[in-house]
Amino acid sequence: MRTNGHGAARVGIGGPVGSGKTALLERLIPLLRGRGIDLAVITNDLVTHEDAERLRRARLLEPERILAVEAGACPHTVIREDPTLNMEAADSLDRIFPDLDLILIESGGDNLASTFSLDLVDYWLFVIDVAGGDDIPRKRGPGVIQSDLLVINKIDLHPYVGVDLQRMRAEAAAVRNGRPVLCTNCRADEGIAAVADALCDAVLYRGA
Amino acid sequence: MSDPLVIESIIGDRGDPALAGRLHEIGHHGVMETLVVDPADLPRRRFHSLTDAGTACFVALPRSARLFDGAVVWLDGQRAIVVRVGEQRWLRLAPGANAALELGYLAGNLHWRVRFDGDCLLVAVDGPIEAYLARLKDFQQRGKVRIVE
Repeated sequence: MRTNGHGAARVGIGGPVGSGKTALLERLIPLLRGRGIDLAVITNDLVTHEDAERLRRARLLEPERILAVEAGACPHTVIREDPTLNMEAADSLDRIFPDLDLILIESGGDNLASTFSLDLVDYWLFVIDVAGGDDIPRKRGPGVIQSDLLVINKIDLHPYVGVDLQRMRAEAAAVRNGRPVLCTNCRADEGIAAVADALCDAVLYRGA
Repeated sequence: MSDPLVIESIIGDRGDPALAGRLHEIGHHGVMETLVVDPADLPRRRFHSLTDAGTACFVALPRSARLFDGAVVWLDGQRAIVVRVGEQRWLRLAPGANAALELGYLAGNLHWRVRFDGDCLLVAVDGPIEAYLARLKDFQQRGKVRIVE
């Protein structure tokens, strides 16, 4: 449902460098658009517009629907301590596209302590990957623990990096006290629909 | 399952005299329901929840709105829904001699929400208490902090 005049729902996507945040975006965008969701994206990078340019090159959205924020320093600062730059970017998207349903805000690659301010987003997910090691959930980083949804990506790689995926998933569920954990293989479009369902159910109330 | 009530605005404060009469009347002839919100979730504008009577709600507030204890979020002839903020647990810490700065640095580095009360540091407990105690263990062992309560 669209809540007129209230601005679009805002969903954060955080996670370590190389875990697959941009790859997840690349899969989510066409899926969400196919469901009739009017969306835009904000990417965060340290000192470049690398991720925004990657999305523009992919032509998944009109270029004006993709904004880039340069964090300049620690990526978590602009999504947590002082999210002003991202809030201004999201506000500008709301002004330019008044019928917008959803803004996806991708954090710059960070560490396991990265979290989103709820002043910036309504809901946030944290992306880790099996190649980063199956001990990541056990390390109980705030991103792993506090996110509304934990995504374990690159599950196709687990036999090649010596990861027991079943155990990794079980340990992730345990440290999160039963909060949701989903597995994806972005390269093969596996598990993406479930991620889309979760965020739509949480903030759009329109289901699949 | 029926559709949830969609809450798109904060109507006012239950203490507001303009609302008190209507709330009083509904209390006698209708249904007064409470929507409990965890203190850590107060900044959220969009979420699903249930009232104490089991009514499903989808909160979708404008970005300028912020929930508070006593916020009236639904009011019709038969039903009122009022927000109650869940109890905030606090960990009261007394820094050891010459350790106040170091304790403050630790709390900041861990992004804990804090308040000050005299010589004590109050830390908002937003998750399992064990996670907080684990971070304080080394400080405790070195006499740099005492957990008051």
